[in-house]
Amino acid sequence: MSLNHLPASSCRTDGCTLTGALSVTTQVRDAITVVHGPPGCTHHNFSLLHATSLDHDRVVLPPLISSGLSETEIIFGGEGALDRTLDRAISRHPAAVFVLSTCIVETIGDDVAAVCNAKTGVPVIVIPTAGFLGGSFQTGVNNALVALAGMAEPSPGRNEQVNIIGEKNLEYEVDENFAEVARLLSLLGLSINTRFVHNLTAGQIGSVGAARLNVLRDPSLVPVGEYLKEHFKTPYVSGFPVGLSGTITFLESVGSACGIDPRPAIEEEHGFEQETLDDFADIAGLEVSFSPLFPVQDGDGVVRDIAHAFRVGVIPSGKPVPVPVTPPVGITGVRRMLHRWRRAIHA
Amino acid sequence: MKQIALYGKGGIGKSTTSANLSAALSLSGYNVLQIGCDPKRDSTRMLMQGRLIPTVMDLVRERGATAVTPEDVVYTGFNGIRCVEAGGPEPGVGCAGRGIIATFQLLEKFGTLTGDVIVYDVLGDVVCGGFAMPMREGYAQEVYLVTSGELMSLYAANNICKAIQRLSTRPRSKCRLAGVICNAKNLPREEELVAEFARRVNSHLTEYIPRDRTVQLAELDRKTVLEYDPSSEQAQKYRDLAARVMENTRFTIPIPLEIDELESLARQFV
Repeated sequence: MSLNHLPASSCRTDGCTLTGALSVTTQVRDAITVVHGPPGCTHHNFSLLHATSLDHDRVVLPPLISSGLSETEIIFGGEGALDRTLDRAISRHPAAVFVLSTCIVETIGDDVAAVCNAKTGVPVIVIPTAGFLGGSFQTGVNNALVALAGMAEPSPGRNEQVNIIGEKNLEYEVDENFAEVARLLSLLGLSINTRFVHNLTAGQIGSVGAARLNVLRDPSLVPVGEYLKEHFKTPYVSGFPVGLSGTITFLESVGSACGIDPRPAIEEEHGFEQETLDDFADIAGLEVSFSPLFPVQDGDGVVRDIAHAFRVGVIPSGKPVPVPVTPPVGITGVRRMLHRWRRAIHA
Repeated sequence: MKQIALYGKGGIGKSTTSANLSAALSLSGYNVLQIGCDPKRDSTRMLMQGRLIPTVMDLVRERGATAVTPEDVVYTGFNGIRCVEAGGPEPGVGCAGRGIIATFQLLEKFGTLTGDVIVYDVLGDVVCGGFAMPMREGYAQEVYLVTSGELMSLYAANNICKAIQRLSTRPRSKCRLAGVICNAKNLPREEELVAEFARRVNSHLTEYIPRDRTVQLAELDRKTVLEYDPSSEQAQKYRDLAARVMENTRFTIPIPLEIDELESLARQFV
C-alpha cells in the first residue's frame, strides 16, 4: 500500500472518457455535440470547456447540448429523449452532430446507435463514452478522433503538408506548443494541412487523409496514428518533441518519414539550442527541487535532463521550481519553463 | 405493523400465494396492503376481480411524478384489501429496478405504507439492487421464499438466500428470512425435500400448500380461493398459512447452499 499522500497521479491521468471526447468534438465549430445523459454530465463539461476557452482568449460557448435525462427517463428508457434532442440539434442546421453517451445510459442499455442511425440529412456520429467501462480521458480523445476521421474523404489524393493529430486542447499552452511544432516543421520546408482536431470546421476534416505525414501529440495517440495509417497510408511520428535532445530527434524522425535531409534544419536548431544555453547561463550552478504540487509523470526524466544540460542541481533542499504537467515541447517550451524557474529562484 | 415479502422463481405462484394470503389475513380482521413489485403487474389481479390496475410507474410515465396523488395509486379490492402495483418500463428498455426504488420513494412520500400487514410480492429473482429494495431500509423485515420441490425452483430460492444473507448482515438491518412456503407441484416426497432445504438454509417450512384444481378454477373466475370457495380444503391451507405468518417469531439469517450441496439434497428425495 502506498503511503504517498500527494494527490494520486490517477486523478490527473485517468479522467472521464466523456470529457476526453468532448475536448475533441467541441473544437468543430459548426457541429453540435449532444451528450446523452443527465444534465450534470453536460454542465460540468460545459463549464470546463468554457473556462478553458476563456483561458485561451477565445470567447465562445462550446456547441454542446444535453438530452437532459431525469429519473423518469432512466426508468422508462432515454431513447425518446435522445430522439427529441437530436431533432433539436438538427433543426439548427449543424454540419454534423456528435452523440456522446454517459455512464447511466450505457447502464440502462439505451440503444444510442439505433436512434442515431434513423436520422438523415446531417451526419450523426456516435462516440461511446461511458467512463465506468474502464476507459480514461485519453480513450475518449482517441475514440473521438477515430470517429471524426470517418468524416474524411476516403481517397483524397496526396499533398505536401503535415497534420497535427490529437492536440491537448485543454492544456494551457496548446497554441504555443502547436506554434513550436509548426516552426520545427517549417525548418524542414513543411507546412500544416489540418490541426486534427483544433478549432476547425467539419469541412476541414475532409482533407485529413491528404497529408503526407501525421504528427501525433504524444504516444498515447498511437492507436489513432495506426488507424489513419491503415485508412490513408499516412505515416506518423508518434509525439511532439520534448526537451533539447528530443527536439533534434524529432527533426530526424520527420525528415526520415518524409524523405527530407534534416541536417540543415538540425544545424539551425543546434544554433538555437546554444543561444538558449547562453541566455540561461545565469542559472547554472544553482540548486532546485521540483515542486511537488503536481505529480511529475513521464516528463520527470526529460526535466532532469534539461536541468543537467543547464548545470542546475536537483536536490531536495533546492529552491522549489514548477514542473509542467506535460514535458516542455521543443526548445521554445524549454525556454518557457526556464523563465519560470528563473522567476521562482529569484523570488 | 408487519411487513412481509414473498420472493421465489418466476411462475412458482408468488402472486397466487400472496393474494390468497392477503385475503386470508384480511378475513381474519387485519388491515392489509398488497404491493406488487413486478413490471408484469399481475400480483393483485385476483384481489381486484381480474382487473389490471394502473401501476405507479404508468401514472408517473403519463403524468410525471409530481401530478400523481395517493388516491391514484391505491385501489381497494376484495374485503377492503388495498392494492398497489409498482409496474415498470416497457419490456426491454430502461431500468425496472430503479422503477421499484422510485415507487417506494413515492409510496413513502404519500404515507401509503400503513396498516396491520403489508405484503410485498416481488419479481422472481433479485436481479439487481432495485429488486432488493423491499428487503432494505426496514420495509419488509420478514422474507418468505416460495418454492416447489423442483431443482430450478430451489436453486432460485437458494439464490435469494444469498441476497437476504447479504442484506441481513448489514449494520442495523432488520431484514430476516422468515420461512419457506412450499407451493407444491405434487411431486413425490416434495414436502420432505422442501422442509429439508429450509432446515439446511437455517430456516423452516412455514406451510405446505398442495397443488389443487380449486386454485385454477378460482383464477378462471378471477377470484382468490378464499372468495371463490371459502369452505374448500385449499382455502383452509391459506388460512393456516396466514395464521403461521402472524404467529411466526423465528427469523433467521440464511446460510445459502453450494450448488452441489443443493443437487445432492434434491437427489436424496427423488
